[in-house]
Amino acid sequence: MSTAETPINDRFAAEAAASRPRHSGVVSAILATGTKSSGATAGAAPTRALPAEPVLLTPAASGTGRPRRRNHHAEGLEAGKRSTRILLWIVLAAAMVLYGFPFLYLLFTSFKTPIDTIAVPPTILPKEWTLENYANALGRNGVLASFINSVQTAVISTVLSLALAIPAAYGITRYKTPSGRVFIMAALVTRMVPPVAIGIPLASMMASAGLADTPIALSIAHTTISLPLSIWLMSSFFEAVPNDLEEAATVDGCSRLGALWRVVIPVVSGGIAVTAIFAFLASWNEFLFALLMTAIRSQTTPVVIANFQTQFGLDWGSMTALAAVYSIPVILLTLLLQRKIVAGMTLGAVKG
Amino acid sequence: MSSRTTISRITAIGGLSTAVLLAATACGAGGPAATSGSATSTVNVLVEAGGHAELTGVAEQCKKDTGVSANFVELPYDGMFNRLSSEFSSGNVSFDVAALDSVWLPSFKDAVQPIDELFTDEAKKDIFPALVKEANVDGHFIGMPAWTNAEIILYRKDLFDDAKNKADFKAKYGYDLAAPTTWKQYQDISEFFTKDGMYGTDVKGGVETEWLAHVLQAGSPMVLDENNNVVIDNAAHKDALDFYTSLVKSAPPGAAQVDWAAAQNLFNQGKTAMTRFWAHAYRQIPKDSPVAGKVGAAPMIGGSAGVAGVPGPWYLSVPKATKNSDAAKKFIKCAYDHNDLGIESSLGLASRISAFEKYQDKAGYESFKPLIETLKGQATATRPATAKWQQIVDTALVPMLQKAVAGGDSATLLAAAKKQIQDLLK
Repeated sequence: MSTAETPINDRFAAEAAASRPRHSGVVSAILATGTKSSGATAGAAPTRALPAEPVLLTPAASGTGRPRRRNHHAEGLEAGKRSTRILLWIVLAAAMVLYGFPFLYLLFTSFKTPIDTIAVPPTILPKEWTLENYANALGRNGVLASFINSVQTAVISTVLSLALAIPAAYGITRYKTPSGRVFIMAALVTRMVPPVAIGIPLASMMASAGLADTPIALSIAHTTISLPLSIWLMSSFFEAVPNDLEEAATVDGCSRLGALWRVVIPVVSGGIAVTAIFAFLASWNEFLFALLMTAIRSQTTPVVIANFQTQFGLDWGSMTALAAVYSIPVILLTLLLQRKIVAGMTLGAVKG
Repeated sequence: MSSRTTISRITAIGGLSTAVLLAATACGAGGPAATSGSATSTVNVLVEAGGHAELTGVAEQCKKDTGVSANFVELPYDGMFNRLSSEFSSGNVSFDVAALDSVWLPSFKDAVQPIDELFTDEAKKDIFPALVKEANVDGHFIGMPAWTNAEIILYRKDLFDDAKNKADFKAKYGYDLAAPTTWKQYQDISEFFTKDGMYGTDVKGGVETEWLAHVLQAGSPMVLDENNNVVIDNAAHKDALDFYTSLVKSAPPGAAQVDWAAAQNLFNQGKTAMTRFWAHAYRQIPKDSPVAGKVGAAPMIGGSAGVAGVPGPWYLSVPKATKNSDAAKKFIKCAYDHNDLGIESSLGLASRISAFEKYQDKAGYESFKPLIETLKGQATATRPATAKWQQIVDTALVPMLQKAVAGGDSATLLAAAKKQIQDLLK
């Protein structure tokens, strides 16, 4: 099949998402060159060359015959920039340690012996490395089932969030009606209410609907957490896509929905990935609703992790081991979608 | 069609199929649903995570004896009260039996069924008196004690048996170094061992039960009298508080933040020579602890009113909303009949006197005699039967204790706490 014969959705889905500046037709022209009215486009943004490195005025670069005072000035400037860079690296390293240390401590604790986990004062590294905690944690009844339940719940909740957030955000950003503006503000209301306040009524409603102790019920509850954020995120991504792109797609023969499906969604695929990650994480780590709404059949891993803390003691080793294992899928997912996430994060960040 | 497009399509279809499959099979991987909708021979038992082990042996035996099998719904302690409140208030419960902390009984008394028929005369004789009294709310027994606990004295036998320590102690205090039987001795021994980076005892500012045991020993009811009058500012409460804070100089710094976990860690790490702690801890000392095999157990010390402790029992109750009452009651009867099976669990506790006595002379169960003596103590009493007890603890008692161990004036703090509690009870 030649390029000219390729359906428009295939071409734009593949090409726009890959951000390649080779398109045919009106849409392609816009994707390649930016918009007619608003300058840089979301689709074009990733294709833009990164800003060039600053040109430093070193003696070699500045050539000969320049005044000596200028050279001194350039050297001073370079030294200043170097020290700024070093300072930034130090701040970056400090921030990394600050945010990464709790996880590292959790990881190290999971390899400690029971007495080592409660050492006074605490030690960072294990005195003696052991896998006993992992054997205890993974050998506990219900752990595997809880993992499966967590995956089910998070996937269903993510799919639900995206299925509802994408059309909602698209409608709000494209039609810009007063009711849309009210709706997007109202969507935040569920985030303003303490989860425990809606958790108990939700649990009762699910029980009345015959959904007690099922991943579907928990997924619906989790969607109430992730949906407002998903709508807001998707709205900002859709805002960055110029109307011209859709108009061009309609000129090429697309309906409004066709333009959304074949042109806009591929362009904001990075944003969808970011939204999906946030929705997935919101469900994956959620505790309170899982505590209130699950029992034998659908208990998720956060509740099982919390069960290591009892009234009579806290099994630090097993708790940290299970928490470490539980974080692996999320780390892998983030690494897998890293490129999409970065693209999504920068989507709409550059406006010409 | 380009290979890129094909891959893209396959990924999309695969992703969608996975999502549909997950949604379609989203009935949970943990087994049958936890619904209490019909009368069956299976009961769902809601337990705090630590209590699950206690009832596992009972569940196996119960299935053999009566054919009633049990599914356990395990929840962390901190979230269990919320879950119970949620289900009881909705009238739609996912369990047939609930293990309730003793302090929750007054809160849930209207949501659980009377089980008077299980409290035979024989049963009442074999359950500690304080527990029989607590299980009876408004004239009906609403919970069968499944296991109970109380604070006893744990001490470092190796340090107490050390010849040099014995000689030095006698030279300084004029009597032999041994497990304390009076609070004066406890103070002296604490002071003696506070040296070289070690401390004689701990002082727990983060929990109230230990101070309340001193109140009972001094001859007063805890916080509320039988008519629900607030008596926290009486002489017994003040004496108990003054004694409690007098130990701060022989305890690790930061007493205001020390709770059960911290105190247990300090003792298991060999940082304290004595601790007043729940009896189960004796059997939970890690094998690789520097104090493993070196710990002795003694009964809680008495005051002017005699030996007293605050029991920490858990009760098995049947929700009114369950349709599986018969099987639930059969399970509770099994739990009573085979109460001693809990002693073989990791928690190692029971609620019947005969169960503890069966094990008290066996090696490894040296904590049982002191525990029985404490639970039978003449001044031993359970916490006041008010639904607001946990609120009183969290908002008045613990903050007051934290200020007291940090050096606050006891009379002033108790007076302030009294007002706070009165306001809470209005």
